[in-house]
Amino acid sequence: MTQIVIDKVRHMYRPARGRPVLALEDVSLEVGEQEFVALLGPSGCGKSTLLYLMGGFLPIESGTISVNGKAITGPGPDRGIVFQHFALFPWKTVLQNVLYGLERQNMPRDEREARARKFIDLVGLHGFEDNYPSQLSGGMKQRAAIARTLAVDPGILLMDEPFGALDAQTRALMQSELLGIWRASPKTVIFVTHDVQEAVYLAQRVVVMSARPGRVKAIIDTNFDKTAPDLLRSQKFGDMVDHIWGLVKEEAIKAQMGRAT
Amino acid sequence: MAGMSPTMAFVDGRPRLRIRFRDIAARWGAVVALLALWWALSHSGMFTPFMLPTPERVATRMWDDALAGDLPLNVALTLYRALAGFVIAAVLGVLIGAAMSRGGIIGWFFDPIVSVGFPMPKIAFLPVIVLWLGFYDVSKISMVVFDAIFPVITGTMLGIKSVEKELIWSARSLGTGESEIWPRIVLPAAMPQMFTGLQVSLPIAMIVAVVAEMLMGGYGMGGAMVQASRMADSPGVFAGIVEIAVVGWFLVKGMASLRRRLLAWHPEADTPSGV
Repeated sequence: MTQIVIDKVRHMYRPARGRPVLALEDVSLEVGEQEFVALLGPSGCGKSTLLYLMGGFLPIESGTISVNGKAITGPGPDRGIVFQHFALFPWKTVLQNVLYGLERQNMPRDEREARARKFIDLVGLHGFEDNYPSQLSGGMKQRAAIARTLAVDPGILLMDEPFGALDAQTRALMQSELLGIWRASPKTVIFVTHDVQEAVYLAQRVVVMSARPGRVKAIIDTNFDKTAPDLLRSQKFGDMVDHIWGLVKEEAIKAQMGRAT
Repeated sequence: MAGMSPTMAFVDGRPRLRIRFRDIAARWGAVVALLALWWALSHSGMFTPFMLPTPERVATRMWDDALAGDLPLNVALTLYRALAGFVIAAVLGVLIGAAMSRGGIIGWFFDPIVSVGFPMPKIAFLPVIVLWLGFYDVSKISMVVFDAIFPVITGTMLGIKSVEKELIWSARSLGTGESEIWPRIVLPAAMPQMFTGLQVSLPIAMIVAVVAEMLMGGYGMGGAMVQASRMADSPGVFAGIVEIAVVGWFLVKGMASLRRRLLAWHPEADTPSGV
């Protein structure tokens, strides 16, 4: 069932100084319920902007985005967000961070405490409930941020290059854990990345976006069996990554040329 | 982790003690060295007792003043003026800084006032303030507010402006209403820089209170020093310097320990800082 409908969205980026830039041009996309979709493209193609529009953080000036048939007008707990740089509340401990969203709902105290601890355990942060974010590594911070977002049980998970600031080993680990969490309790996931391998590994569909102004260049079905032990070295996986990398590379070159002139 | 901590404490219990001792020694070393230098110079015969009275002499003088009741009265009056001015400056400074951080007309209005007012020697306005507000506490406290407010304004403004939008967006998507964003997210996030503004402002309040007292006379630590100087009472002048140093030290350390307590989550809270 279709859950998110993006219809002819156009977005101008207006910096405080300087000329406005057309960031997104005529973007249309449909995402099904419990589907895992990756938005892939060179930097500056507007993929994060599209995610922020879905989150309701930026005003939609032209076109519509609707969730479950209703046009979105602002942020809401039905769409959880995970940022590249975590955006944890630094003055709150891990537990307090995860509790924050639950306190905004009218959940009884015992229930929300139990729920927060459940999600802290789920992301593997048991024992760090009382640590402040500044006392955690990057990977642990992102685990805490994911727990905070999952705890309020959003139907849709918006992820903005969530593993982009992590080292390679941590990233690989977090990818497989995210996939595990998603398989255990599927949600609609929109995952922004510029890492082709990450996109193919995680997503059921990969949306390749063009260089600025961002458009949907291609949509590739990547929904094949990914449970094979040697998946990353398999012929099928490699071919898929090569094919998508070819598409992204064209746009990356265009983006470079655009910047040079 | 909780199960591990007793072992950890046992393992590094000794080194931690040794580091503690060395830290304390280093912190007091400078004070001891300064006192020793003062003692040596005042006993060397290079200076007359009038130019540089001995530390013993000054200490005796402070003891006498304390018994006579002058010392507590002067310290209390100066502290009252400095702290009253500081509290007013803190409240007004946070309000103005917060209003300025939102930009718009208020931002445009206050921006030139802060840019011109901050570097200006406010004490130069003292004669005008005396004309308007008289010789007593109102004018001294106004002088303190006038000087101590600027670091609070800039600290608050910068602190609020540098709150990341992702933090606010996260809060919004977790169900925070528009009216809750300031008290729940913006103010706590801006707290470290706001507090730095307050930590700069408090010693300024102390300095201005003493200087205003020196210029205007009367009771208070500054007034007592000027009085002593007029009477050619050299131990009295030096006693004043020592008293101001001690009171200032307590104020600065008190603020630093308040910061460690309030901002335990902030990585910089651990660093032993004067300001």
